[in-house]
Amino acid sequence: MRRKRVCFVGYGSTEYSRKSEEPQLGHYATAIRAALNQTGLKKKDIHGLSITTQASPDTAPHVAEQLGFELDWVLNADYGGAGGVGAVRRAADAIECGHLDVALLVGGNSFDRSVAHQRPLEYQRGNFVDVYGYGGPNSLMALIQRLHMENFGTTLEQIGKIAVAQRFSAMNNPQALFREPMTMQDYLNSRMISDPIRLFDCVMPCSGAECLVLASEEKARQITDKLVYLVTDAEKVHYQVADMLPEKTTFGMKLVGEKIFSEVKRESIDLFEIYDDYPIAVMIQIEDFGYCKKGDGGKFVDTHDLTYNGDFPVNTGGGELSVGQAGLAGGFLHVVEALRQLRGEADGHQAKKAERALVTGIGWLNYGRNLGTTVALVMERRK
Amino acid sequence: MAEARAPQKSLPKINPVDRPFWEGAAKNKFLLQKCKSCGKVQFFPRVACVDCFGELDWIEAKGTGKIHTFTLVRVPRNPAFKDEVPIYYINVILDEGVIIESRLLGENKEKVKLGDRVKVRYEQTHNPEIKLPCFELAD
Repeated sequence: MRRKRVCFVGYGSTEYSRKSEEPQLGHYATAIRAALNQTGLKKKDIHGLSITTQASPDTAPHVAEQLGFELDWVLNADYGGAGGVGAVRRAADAIECGHLDVALLVGGNSFDRSVAHQRPLEYQRGNFVDVYGYGGPNSLMALIQRLHMENFGTTLEQIGKIAVAQRFSAMNNPQALFREPMTMQDYLNSRMISDPIRLFDCVMPCSGAECLVLASEEKARQITDKLVYLVTDAEKVHYQVADMLPEKTTFGMKLVGEKIFSEVKRESIDLFEIYDDYPIAVMIQIEDFGYCKKGDGGKFVDTHDLTYNGDFPVNTGGGELSVGQAGLAGGFLHVVEALRQLRGEADGHQAKKAERALVTGIGWLNYGRNLGTTVALVMERRK
Repeated sequence: MAEARAPQKSLPKINPVDRPFWEGAAKNKFLLQKCKSCGKVQFFPRVACVDCFGELDWIEAKGTGKIHTFTLVRVPRNPAFKDEVPIYYINVILDEGVIIESRLLGENKEKVKLGDRVKVRYEQTHNPEIKLPCFELAD
């Protein structure tokens, strides 16, 4: 669906850290404070709040009460890595319906085990996966990567190029936990975790939070002169759910992409902020979006420069692979980075042309298939 | 001070929906759900047909199939498995046409490749009433 009058007006991020004494709510507060400072909005101007977290007591009403928000709209946007873009869609609906003029969307996690209350594994993963000694999401994505490599001849160097390019972009991003250069040899030599997934295919769990502010166009004009519009957005939940022999190397993003590109031209995108829990997931999404044929993702990355100043800039701040994954803040990182770029505020890693960005979220690695939640949006800067 | 308890291997928390499956496995039978309306066979166990929402029966599978994909787990999520790494974690396409996530066992598992034929093998767990259906390469 094409959006008409919803804008991104601000953002806020915390520092990311491996070990943090800060409780979860403290990370939220820091990210929210940064967003309020940037927009000049006061807490009482916020009538809508969305929370995305893995820490189960931190449902949205609980967080609203703790942080003192009186609201007309509250949302627990709990869709795994699709939580960021998913929250944007729902807030945009509420704004277009007139329920709200401003919404604050927050995602984050604290990996301090004394405060984090991880939710139990969902039923089928507990009873039919965990019992075999699997290695978490790393193993489930490894099953997909092996098929891509065997069926299409994709090489480790092609997959690794995504991680290496993103690291290059992260080197001048002060938020990134990993800023030292990474070579292809570093990638190839990194420790095997769940063959063929290596250490440098995996994100670093960390603590932190991200906040986004959405507003109606009318309200946005009062807040900022850097108008960034939500253009269109789409999602697919549980693609192929009734297919007992699903196509494991195609995500629901294929159908999401068809909807997105019925509204905007595929060739008109400047920036690709693609959810990157693993490099292979980025490659598969590039294929699903039709930038190349299914299976040709390896050849595609061979012939494109994926760094922030390249011809096909992917994850211009380094993505989750180099910045770190603060739990479900991971799904917000890509939206915030796109917003920074479109506002011209990505100091040190600003892309040359940044008018229109494609942003995705994926989540819910599931039994026998691939991703349960796939969602994407296009946002653009307008004068 | 109490001694730290050694980690235990994960066991299924059997519920009314999947109890027939686990009772079958305890008797060396691999049970799948089949829809009474449309005939679709499905796994994992659910409360209704994932396709047409019909009611379900249980059927016995042959317990044979082929390797769809696999990974060698070096870092198991549950540390109780760490002495057994690498764990050959597999997706099998059963001959009945459903994907099963499981584990490959047997002396010759290092030779595994995509498409290899496999057959089920029931492993006793530390709970005497629960067996886990695993697989080994068929000759």
